[in-house]
Amino acid sequence: MTDAILSAKKRTMHELAIAQAILDRAQAASEKNGGGRVLKIGLRIGEISGVVPDALTFGIEALSKDTPLEGLLLEVEQPKRKQRCTACATEFEPEGFVVRCPACQHEQSECIAGNELDVTFIEIEDPPCA
Amino acid sequence: MRVEVEEKVLSENDKLAIGLRERFARDKVLCVNLISSPGSGKTALLERTLEILPKTARVALLTGDLQTENDARRLARAGFPVKQITTGDTCHLDASMIIKALADWDLAGIDILFIENVGNLVCPTSYDLGEHAKIVLLSVTEGEDKPLKYPSIFAIAELCIINKIDLLPYVPFDLERAIANARHVHPGMEIVQTSCTKVQGLEPWLAWIERRRAQVMAE
Repeated sequence: MTDAILSAKKRTMHELAIAQAILDRAQAASEKNGGGRVLKIGLRIGEISGVVPDALTFGIEALSKDTPLEGLLLEVEQPKRKQRCTACATEFEPEGFVVRCPACQHEQSECIAGNELDVTFIEIEDPPCA
Repeated sequence: MRVEVEEKVLSENDKLAIGLRERFARDKVLCVNLISSPGSGKTALLERTLEILPKTARVALLTGDLQTENDARRLARAGFPVKQITTGDTCHLDASMIIKALADWDLAGIDILFIENVGNLVCPTSYDLGEHAKIVLLSVTEGEDKPLKYPSIFAIAELCIINKIDLLPYVPFDLERAIANARHVHPGMEIVQTSCTKVQGLEPWLAWIERRRAQVMAE
């Protein structure tokens, strides 16, 4: 197997584990709120979270097939990476992997956005009226 | 009905551990995380292991303690690269400490990485370090009910090493019951019995390393 295929395979497996964690979370939220069908999951996947949204979507579809979660929709936000300079506190969106502060040229900064991997909301079918 | 969740899918440590696991897989490094109470013999087991391994083996070690470089000094005698991680007040190693400790090592030049965790049966259990296997040590000077008292680590450890078996004649430790207790919380668990001071029973442990190493190479 070529390295490219191998690394793609590994990456997919990593997203599969995350997909399962998200589905578990959705299932738990549904059970806690009356057991209605899960309609939609809101996700925040930062651009440097290490997660490829397409691979994650694929994983969620594959893992939810033939389960009560099949057919759920995903709403994905993809925040851009943002750094804050540790010297002058300027906030900036770095180009590529260069993280030098555009204001003071300081080379140390901390990531304040773009590394998120969050479940933001879960939408559950309302229970039928009594 | 919309339920606001706003939760991280993975904890920060899990994310870092996934990164480590990918690095170990890419560079074909078998990573083993040793966990036990203080004084069960983690350092002694590693000392004996290093003495037996061929000098050409590409082995490296990280060892965690709250303070002192004592364990690193003991382990360095065998001539393999060792790094001490002093955690200060922290009762376990976490993935970020491992990443920092590995920063100036080339993983491609390492075949086996042993991580000796901080002596503690509780907290290290819940910190994924990207390792292939957690291993738990239990010494015969402890109680044979330890697997029942601290079931989490025994449930997830791939191998249990019962150490200091040379002391069995002098202590009230019930070996059969200890094994039964470990298998009670982890049916089918692999268990080996060693004495690191008398250098006994190390062959099954070395065979385990060999086997896991071959699996990593084949993956």
